Formats: sequence, structure tokens, C-alpha cells
Amino acid sequence: MAKVLLIEDDSETAEEITAELADRGFEVEWSADGIEGLDKARSLRPDAMIVDRLLPGMDGLTVIEALRKEQVRTPVLVLSALGAVDDRVRGLRMGGDDYLTKPFAIVELIARVEALLRRPAESRETTLRVGPLELDLIERTAKRGDRVIDLLPREFRLLEYMMQRSDQLLTRAMLLEEVWNYKFIPATNLVDVHMGRLRHKVDGPGETPMIHNVRGSGFILRTGP
Amino acid sequence: MRQPQFMRSTTFHWALAVAGVLAVFVVVLFGFIYWKTDDYLIARSDTMIARQLNFIAGLSAERRRTAIDEHLKQDSRGVQYAGLFDPDGHKMAGNLEQLPPGLKINDSVQTVTVVRTLAAGRETHAIRAIARRMSDGNALVIGREVDETREISHVVGQALALGLLPALCLCLLAGAWLSMRAQRRVEEVNQRVQRIIAGDLRERLPHRNIDEPFSKLAVIVNGMLDEMEAMIHALAGVGNDIAHDLRTPLTRARLTLERGRTNATNLEQLQGVVDKAIANVDQSLAIITALLRLAEIENSRRSAAFGSVQLPEMLREICDIYEPIAENKKIDLRVEVRHQLSVRADRDLLLEAVANLVDNAIKFTPEGGKVEIELLRGDRETIVRVADTGSGISEQERDAVLRRFYRSDKIRNTPGVGLGLSLVVAIVKLHGFRLAIHSGAGGRLDIICPDPQPV
Repeated sequence: MAKVLLIEDDSETAEEITAELADRGFEVEWSADGIEGLDKARSLRPDAMIVDRLLPGMDGLTVIEALRKEQVRTPVLVLSALGAVDDRVRGLRMGGDDYLTKPFAIVELIARVEALLRRPAESRETTLRVGPLELDLIERTAKRGDRVIDLLPREFRLLEYMMQRSDQLLTRAMLLEEVWNYKFIPATNLVDVHMGRLRHKVDGPGETPMIHNVRGSGFILRTGP
Repeated sequence: MRQPQFMRSTTFHWALAVAGVLAVFVVVLFGFIYWKTDDYLIARSDTMIARQLNFIAGLSAERRRTAIDEHLKQDSRGVQYAGLFDPDGHKMAGNLEQLPPGLKINDSVQTVTVVRTLAAGRETHAIRAIARRMSDGNALVIGREVDETREISHVVGQALALGLLPALCLCLLAGAWLSMRAQRRVEEVNQRVQRIIAGDLRERLPHRNIDEPFSKLAVIVNGMLDEMEAMIHALAGVGNDIAHDLRTPLTRARLTLERGRTNATNLEQLQGVVDKAIANVDQSLAIITALLRLAEIENSRRSAAFGSVQLPEMLREICDIYEPIAENKKIDLRVEVRHQLSVRADRDLLLEAVANLVDNAIKFTPEGGKVEIELLRGDRETIVRVADTGSGISEQERDAVLRRFYRSDKIRNTPGVGLGLSLVVAIVKLHGFRLAIHSGAGGRLDIICPDPQPV
């Protein structure tokens, strides 16, 4: 059972997040200020942390910097007000951590925490496999069983990203950021259209669907129904 | 001790300085007049005694004594001196007891000191005198008192006192008056400003006539206040728009929840109600997010993320992203690039701006239409053009579309929050670029990027 440390000063938000994480089988610890949070991060050794940027006592980013200096590599999701997204916050994504701007949907938060916990391991595999799906990263070809799937470069990149994170909920925002390198949410449902095309190619007629649309949240690639 | 307020003002200090300079100037002037007058009087008196000497010396030896006596008798003010001395220096005639010591007998006028014996006693006088050795060996001395200059200096001093003191007082008074007047105006302005700070935006600074510097300043400040008042009213208008746009989905959410609570009979119905409510709340959040993003861009002064952006590559990327969407709507989306151009920009923001334009173009173009992204080269500028075969933007709507939340009546039913173009404008402005909207058939928007000025 994964252990998550939540450092957030608004008790109501914290309660909702804690409840949701607990429902999904996480063990959650909550701190309302930065200094206590830093202590807990040292003593409890959580698997992931959710840190509000603005905290009483100690700024969220300072907490993370303190931990990094002590060689603690726990992945962190920073919650930041939109107006406060500066280069320091943006830098988090480069360092393998992540940030989310308030206000956010709870599914978005859960999806990102899960993504942090299940970061794909560095692998030298040149072929990705999920069930009958096979992706050759060198030849840049895709196959489902014996059927060859003809993919455009963008579709290939999308499928690669999804196969690295199979069985994991991927929200539209995550896909936009990671696959399209978009830093904003466009007005049109870009992701759905692209996903629709990919699904059309991956899930042929008569085959068990692999790309699933999770209503209101995002998409999952999995073998089972 | 505290000085009175007006004495501490710079105006008063200036008045003091001016008074000081004036005083020095007047003293120098009077000194000059005194010095010049003195010189003139002495020169005149010198000529007179030289002439007198010539006259008496020209007479015969016997007549000299009588001429000296005559000469002295005519002098009613008692300023004349004369004397005739034998070669041994004994007095032969005149009112000098002895040859004045230090007087050179060389026919030139000199200043010497003589002692005069009067009934009241002896007096020492500084006089101008001239002496000549006669052919018979006697010495003739003619002198004249120059103490008159003392009188002149007295008069000059009096005139100085009479002129300078009132002038100085006047200066100080004027200084104090000006200083107090300025203070009064400042106080007046301060009171008005306090009222403006307290929230009375219609208050203005007082001004009388335009030629006075204070009034000029007041007029300038009033102009600024007019501008600010207009801006604040405009902001309030935007605030109302925001409130309205936020209230609509929230009201819907509330109604949905209220009705669902009363009417839903099973879990499925309730979930449906909640989904609808969430969709409406999401709409409100989207508006807030868009507004915050807009504020973030408008307030950001950072150009650290600026770099050289290869436009053809960026435009192709946008086309690539929107291609499936256009295809779904049977719209022909294509990129027309004739030049390999680049601009200095924040790539993410510029991509967002162009993507917004393309997004809009696809949204407002009917099925079977065409959307074209072009990269053009103008006169010292690079143009990114997004043109479509949609209804276009009419002349009347051109300003309105740039306003926040403006949604054309034609498109009321199209999803969106009506902030797209405001966002584009904010990004374009941040870069020092321009957005041009063409009217006429079909929509055509240009992002005009002027070439950087050579440094």
C-alpha cells in the first residue's frame, strides 16, 4: 500500500483529498504546515508527496528543496495558484516531479499522483508490449496480434506514451502536456479527436476494446474489459 | 525651537538667498559709486590747487604775500591752505605754521598731514597739497582739505540704509508670502487628493489660470485622473461581465441540484443530476482559469523565455494538431509557408496565440470550408495569417471581439468562454506584436511581428 504525505493548510481541501486517496487504497498522512510537513517527510518516508505551494511556516518549494538537499528523492506533486506558476514551479516537471494549478478536479490530482508513483522505469527495451499490442520503437511500427497498425507520427507518440503507462488513468491535461507539449488547455476537445482516431486504428471491428474513455476524466489503455 | 512652517519651505529659502545676493549687489554698487565720486572730487580739487599754485607763482615776489592772504580770506568754509616759506623753512605768509613734513617740493599733488592751530586747540587734517620752489629760493605751498569725501561716504551710507533695508524687508516679505501661498495651494491639493484616496473618483484638483505652473500641473494631474476614472469604470464593467458569466453556470448548477434533490428517486437519476451540476461548475472554473491566465500574461514582464522561434516548424505543428479536428468538420486546413522565417518570442505563448486563432477559425467556418495558415513577409515585418471562409468579423464587431467575454450573437450556441481573442491580444501585446483584423468576406486575422530595431 502506497504511502502519501499531504501538506496542505486548507483543512477542507485536505479532507477531500485524504478521503479520495483513502478510497483508492492509499495510506495518507496530513500536515497543515511546512515545518511539520518536512519533519513527517523525513520520519515517515512516504512514497509520494502532495505539497501546497503557499504554506504557513515554510513555503512548499522550500520544503522540497530541503528534502532534495538531503538526497530524498520522493516524487512530489505541487499545488500552485495559477498566477504563481513561475519558472521554479515549471522546473518541477523537468525534475520528474509535477505541479497542478488550483482549482483542479480531484480525478486530475489522483491521476497525477498515480503517475508519479508509477513512473515508467528506465528501460532499454526497444519493443513495448501490452496484451496483444506491440510497438517497435526502432522500426516505428505497431501491431495488434498479426494485424499491422498504420500510425501517423503523432499517433505513434500517443500510443507509446499510453503503453508506457498502461492500466493508468491519463487525463486530457496530462496527454496535452506530455504528448503535444501544450502548456495550456485549448478550447476544442483536441485530445478526444486524436484519441478517437487512434482508438479507431487500435481497436478494430470485433476486437476487445483496449482504449477506454473514463467519463469526464480521461483515458486508460488496458487489456481487460 | 520649531521655525514657523513657511520659514522651512524652499520658496522662503530661495527668497532669503535672493535678498542676500541683492544686498551684496547693492553694497558693491554703492561702493563703486562712492569710490568713483571720491576719485572725481579729488581730481577736481587737485586741478584747482595746481591752478592756484600756478597763479600765485606767476606773480612777483612782493605780491605773493597779498595774493595768499586774499586767497585765504575768500575761503569761507576754511578748507584752503596756503603758505610761503623761506629757504630755511620759516613761515613767511599763509595759514600753515611750517612746511608740512613729507611734502616733496616737486610740483605734484600729494596727500599730506598738517597740524592746524585754532582757538579751540590743534587739529590734524589730511589734505591734498602741492609745493614749488620759487626762483628766489622760497617754497610756495597750496593745499585743500579732502575731508569732503567723508561727507559723501556719510550720504552714501545713508542712501544705502534707506534703500537697502526696505528692499531686504520687501524681499523677505515677498518670500514669506510666496511660501505661504504655495503652502496653501499644496494644502488645498492635499485635501482634494485625500478625498480621491478616500474613493471620491470624481474629485479634481483646483486650477485658476493656465499660465501659472501650479495650475498647469493641476491640469495635467486632472487629465490623468480622468483617464484613470475611465479605466476604473471600464474595469468595473468587466467585473460585471465576469459576475454575469460566472453566475449563469452557477445558477444552472444550483437549479439542477435543487431539482435533483427533490425529484431524483434512484441513484442513477441522482448521478445524472450531479454530472450536470459538475459540468456547470467546471464551466465556471474554466472562466476563472482563463481569466487568471489572461491576468498572468498581461502582468508578466518576463522575457527570459524569449528565444528564436522557427515559425514554419511551429505552424506545421499547429496544423498537425488541428488537422483531425478540421477533417472531422470537413474543413480543408493547410499551411502555406513561402519563407523560412523566425521571430524572437516565447514559443509556448506564441503557439498558444496562433492555436487560438486556428481553433476559432475552425469553429466558425461552416462544413466544407477552408482554413489557411500563412506565413508572409511584409515591409520590415513578419506576418502570421489565419484566414478562413467563415462569416468573418464585421466592421461593427471588430472592437467588440477584442473585449473580454464578447460572444457574437451568431455564435451564442458555440461552446467557449469568450476569452480566446483577449488572450491572443494579451500575448501579442506582450511580444510587442500587433493583431490586425480584416473585415470583408471570410475571416482574416494577422499577427504582425515587426522586425527588431537594429541596436
